[in-house]
Amino acid sequence: MFYATLEGLRRFNIPHKFEFISVVSLYAQLIREGRLKVDPSWNKEGLKFTCQDPCKLVRQGLGDKVAEDLRFVIKAVAGPENFVDTWPRLSNNYCCGGGGGALQAGFVANRRRFGKIKFDQLAATGADVVITPCHNCHTQILDICEFYGGNWKTTHLWNWLEKALVLDGGDQKGKD
Amino acid sequence: MGKEIIDLSSVRARVKKQIEDAVPDARIDYCLTCGLCVSGCPASGIEGLDPRKFLRLLVLGQDEEILETNWIYSCTMCQRCRYACPMGIDVGRIVYEIRGMRPRDKRPRNLQRSCDLQKQSNSTGIPNEDFVWVVNDVLEEVRQNEPQWKDLQAPIDKKGALYYLNQNAKEPTVEPEEMVPLWKILHVAGIDWTYSSKWWDGANYCLFTGDPEDWEYTVRKQAEVVDELGCRYYINTE
Amino acid sequence: MNRPKGSVLVVGGGIAGVQAALDLANSGFYVHLVEKSTAIGGSMSQLDKTFPTNDCSACILSPKLVEVGRHLNINLLTLSEVLDIHGGPGDFRVRIRKNPRYVDPEKCIACGTCAEKCPKKVPSEFDLGLGIRKAIYLRYPQAVPLKYAIDPDACIYLKKPGRCGFCKKVCPTGAINFDDKPEELVLEVGSVILALGFKPFDPSVLDFTGYGTFKNVVTSMEFERLLSPSGPCMGHMERPSDKKEPKRIAWLQCVGSRDINRACHGYCSSVCCMYAIKQAVIAREHSESGELSASIFFMDMRTHGKGFEAYYQRAKDEGISFHRARVHTVLSSSNDNLLLRYSGEDGNLREEEFDLVVLSVGLETDPEVIRLCHDLEVELDHDNFISTSPFSPVATNRPGIFVCGAVSEPKAIPQSVIDASAAACSAQCMLYPARWTETKKKEFPPERNVYAEPPRIGVFVCSCGINIASVVDVKAVTEYAKTLPGVVFAQNNLFTCSQDTINQMAEIIKRERLNRVVVASCTPRTHEPLFQETLREAGINKYLFEMANIRDQDSWVHQKWPEKATEKAKDLVRMAVAKVRGDEPLPYNQLPVTKKALVVGGGVAGMVSALSLAEQGFPVCLVEKKDRLGGHGRKFYRTWQGRLMQEYLDELISRVEGHPEIDIQLSASLDRVSGSVGRFQTRLSNGVDVEHGVAIVAVGAESYKPLSGPWNYLYGKNPNVHTLLDLDQRFIAGDEGLKGLGQAVFIHCVGSRVPERPYCSKVCCTHAIDQALKLKELNPDMDIFMLYRDIRTYGRREHIYQEAREKGIVFIRYDLDNLPKVSERDGRLVVEVTDPILQKGVRLHPELLVLATAVQPRDDVGELSKLFKCAMTEEGFLLEAHMKLRPVDFATDGVYLAGLCHYPKPVEETIAQAQAAASRAAIVLSKDAVPVESITAVVNQAKCTGCGVCTKVCAYHAVSLSEETGKAQVDTGLCKGCGACVAGCRSDAITIKNLGNEQIMAAVEAAMED
Repeated sequence: MFYATLEGLRRFNIPHKFEFISVVSLYAQLIREGRLKVDPSWNKEGLKFTCQDPCKLVRQGLGDKVAEDLRFVIKAVAGPENFVDTWPRLSNNYCCGGGGGALQAGFVANRRRFGKIKFDQLAATGADVVITPCHNCHTQILDICEFYGGNWKTTHLWNWLEKALVLDGGDQKGKD
Repeated sequence: MGKEIIDLSSVRARVKKQIEDAVPDARIDYCLTCGLCVSGCPASGIEGLDPRKFLRLLVLGQDEEILETNWIYSCTMCQRCRYACPMGIDVGRIVYEIRGMRPRDKRPRNLQRSCDLQKQSNSTGIPNEDFVWVVNDVLEEVRQNEPQWKDLQAPIDKKGALYYLNQNAKEPTVEPEEMVPLWKILHVAGIDWTYSSKWWDGANYCLFTGDPEDWEYTVRKQAEVVDELGCRYYINTE
Repeated sequence: MNRPKGSVLVVGGGIAGVQAALDLANSGFYVHLVEKSTAIGGSMSQLDKTFPTNDCSACILSPKLVEVGRHLNINLLTLSEVLDIHGGPGDFRVRIRKNPRYVDPEKCIACGTCAEKCPKKVPSEFDLGLGIRKAIYLRYPQAVPLKYAIDPDACIYLKKPGRCGFCKKVCPTGAINFDDKPEELVLEVGSVILALGFKPFDPSVLDFTGYGTFKNVVTSMEFERLLSPSGPCMGHMERPSDKKEPKRIAWLQCVGSRDINRACHGYCSSVCCMYAIKQAVIAREHSESGELSASIFFMDMRTHGKGFEAYYQRAKDEGISFHRARVHTVLSSSNDNLLLRYSGEDGNLREEEFDLVVLSVGLETDPEVIRLCHDLEVELDHDNFISTSPFSPVATNRPGIFVCGAVSEPKAIPQSVIDASAAACSAQCMLYPARWTETKKKEFPPERNVYAEPPRIGVFVCSCGINIASVVDVKAVTEYAKTLPGVVFAQNNLFTCSQDTINQMAEIIKRERLNRVVVASCTPRTHEPLFQETLREAGINKYLFEMANIRDQDSWVHQKWPEKATEKAKDLVRMAVAKVRGDEPLPYNQLPVTKKALVVGGGVAGMVSALSLAEQGFPVCLVEKKDRLGGHGRKFYRTWQGRLMQEYLDELISRVEGHPEIDIQLSASLDRVSGSVGRFQTRLSNGVDVEHGVAIVAVGAESYKPLSGPWNYLYGKNPNVHTLLDLDQRFIAGDEGLKGLGQAVFIHCVGSRVPERPYCSKVCCTHAIDQALKLKELNPDMDIFMLYRDIRTYGRREHIYQEAREKGIVFIRYDLDNLPKVSERDGRLVVEVTDPILQKGVRLHPELLVLATAVQPRDDVGELSKLFKCAMTEEGFLLEAHMKLRPVDFATDGVYLAGLCHYPKPVEETIAQAQAAASRAAIVLSKDAVPVESITAVVNQAKCTGCGVCTKVCAYHAVSLSEETGKAQVDTGLCKGCGACVAGCRSDAITIKNLGNEQIMAAVEAAMED
């Protein structure tokens, strides 16, 4: 959990020499610097993407900036026209309902009731793919998608990034 | 109303006091009861509570109800209420404190267990050797089956690597193939990175049990590992 | 100090600056009015209507702006800013930068040809970007000065000389000057008044409001423009996304106010609750379908001003929905609609869809103003408003520099106007030795004798923007007017009251040799003096003038029947023409002024008024009913800012008692008042006769004591039940017993906002909370509960509400239909109330129960109002001449009011109002003579039988029977021309000048013609 470490370091004043970063920011940085080349042309069907803004990473973590990075990466990977944003978004996005230990705590009915608002929000985007940059969000959104009968695929960002990678020599890796 | 009367000859809001002592900026008393949090909280209505009622119980010293309600496990401590709250009240933080007040044996078992396991090694409890084995096994498979990735790396305990990468325990445990895309991405970008063979788990459920000492311990362990490896950046995968 | 300078600099041309400038210029000082934009008017000019009177904002403001624009003793400096101020009281040197207008104001006739041809369109700042303007533009149609200006940031020519330049080619008067340069001026003034206004909060930083994301989320200021006839959709109320009329509108309160989290503004903006209700009411009127649903989402409804609570109740009765809920996030819905999810107090969630969401944004200080104040070393408080103290509410930290309006705290128009007059008063107290030393005098040309001339009538038909023209066919009315007997000239104007039209009118009167004028426009109440002065400037007597009110009495009330409205406009014009034909020139009556003031009431308001006049050298007679000075203030412990009231009072009393110009009459009241402005004669109950030119009524109010009835709560029965003032007595006495209390309960709104006293007493929330804080100071462990309906700690008072919560004081809301219950068990108090959040009963056991009881009018106010012929509100407070723009004047000339007899108010507002009353009074006292009514009654001695009926019906005591002849005689100084005597006369012996039977009948007959 991004926030567990970020806030843990801060709150308990834990000495450390490293800089703590998110893989999402790293992706965005690598793409901006040209170290990662991505090409959305694999997305011939025009799969529509949306995303979850993990509370621990965005609102409680690095704020709107990392959420904008997330969108930047998805647009680079899937094509800017294929990104459908949610509302609310960024730091104001809804929690999926899987966080805070809810997935471990039991109280399944409560957790799904909580997740209904997230389900409705994601369903309203009409997206085919929901990117979840956090494992808790991933598990919860998979679950509510199945439970409430959603039609999207819930995935991590890396699967699509891998798909869009342009390897040296110019050919897109793409695997079908 | 009948029985539903709260009789206050004096307000002994002990729980509130305890929270205020631990969190000087908890701002419980600031609440304007405007209901903004209620309208923005997906946990509103669950267990008959919502953030505002929760604060109200604290203010009026209804400690028994506060300590008993399982609403504290429906509140995900996501802080969306705090984000827009005109008074900036941090209900998530307050919930955290109350979770910690609950005796360990009364807490949700799996949640406490995840943290207890984390304190030993990682949240799923797989042995560190298994993690090392799974990583090397999956790597070997990719190198063999996908010729263009024959040079793919997944270093563990590589001293002096620029980047340290943690790994959510879910992947090596149940879906090891999900680790591969990130390896490939880092490879293509020419990132010099490493895993650690201990304290490698990216998840941390000790954030949610309410015991700061557990949380601190697990983060301290992570930090030690990374500094030992001498990595300049610590990449979190989520 | 040597003799001070006789001029004053006023910075800021909004309503506050304008009022301050007018007060000073009308009482003997020369004023420089500096405004940074191209025209004065400020925020008020952008508003559509104003609460609680629903007056058209531009319409009531316009006459004042025009007066400033035409005033001989006001030097209007637009496009100007203050660079620095050196020196001290009485002698400041101010550097001003005057930015180029690029249009010569002497030559510009505001014909608009330049703007028509200008190819560059930019968002109009006046319309907050909702509409567009050209690079050469007027800030708004009624702008003063009505002169175009070029926006150098937009102008194509100024950016790339050689390109464009169309405006210069088409301007018929050669007014365009691309070579205009900034100028620096140095002004020497005796005092400075800062009226720097406010800036609406920008909600872009609050992402959850959806502002900037959703087109149909607008700010309240933007909504004012959407409602305004001069706005981007010409008052048709269209929503931005599809230009359709919204059918469901929601207002979200406290956007950028009472928010210490994201908005960083802990204060309450004071005006938003009222303007939201007003907008909801007006939007429903605008709604063409008549089916507008309006919902207001609020935390506490703050309708604390005079007439506000009644306005709120009326809005509820009309079906406007009020939801006590703040909304987390504005959600989107289909068709660009918006969805609001909100919680009831019980926690039940509801969802409602709206076509438009209006964000009731708060007021803040413009960053440029903050910078200016830093440069000028004028101190700001931590909310970035200019710091003032409760006992000198318009003084800044820099002696000689005063402040008024919303730059010292968010406030509504009336309080800004009061502040403005108070600031003017403060300047006068400093500069009075230099009165009339720097002013110029108005000379009118000699009047043409028109007796012998046949009527040559000119008719000016006003479009009032679209106020009239959107309903009435003004061209047809103009053409029709030309056909009426005696009419030799008629024309239609966009705004007849605009400065260029006024000037043009004067030219036309001379050129066409008109000897009678009719203006068909709005109401004579606001505009008659302006047009009459124009007649004088054109050299004819001002009484040769009539107005036909084709707006208030026609276009506004017959919006749905444009053809019939046009016919009615013709009828009204025909009647006015018939009437004006018989009008005769009348003399301009004047009365010498007795340079002395009578102040009634020896409380804070009365004493401050008295001192403020005495310090300017005017003698004052201060009359107090009791045997000592001090009034209600004697009973108060401290102000909410923590200043001790008794210390202030003692000092004030000693200053009053020690002032040589103040004659104090204690244990006295008024027996009889006669005379009128300039020369009143008053007989006091102690037999003393006072001659005075003006009077200030400041008789205060009373605290309600609920000895019986529904609001009793065991008051007077259990010794531990107090009113706020009872508890203040214990604070003043330093009662140690309070320290030992374990629990205290306050009940708010005791006797206020209830059927028998429907108004809000304004001061009690703040007072009660401050007392609770005082109890916490005495014993931090005391449990304190405040049982309230809405907390109304407006403005910066919100900080003490927050402080109270921070200190653990618990607030529990109750409703009128669920009142707290107070009982006694074994002599101990028990209070029961329902907590609306938990929906559970709460039982309290206070050792002290404090009732925040109403402030109510004194029952002898009625008598006093009769003596001065002043009006009263239904509640029994005294009624000012106009709630918005004449908040300290009575309708009766020369009589002013201040303090609690006007309405409940805290001490800082009382002091400001007392100073304001003094400023208004000084306008009269500074002159040797005042003009009085010319349209007065005349007695035909031949017909009069001396029956005396007229003497009895005259409300102004203006008619008496001559001791010599036994016949009626009229005191023209007192006569108001009301006509009661005419109606009462059985012998047809009295008529009113220019309102004779022949004239009235001519108008009536004209009305009956086809």
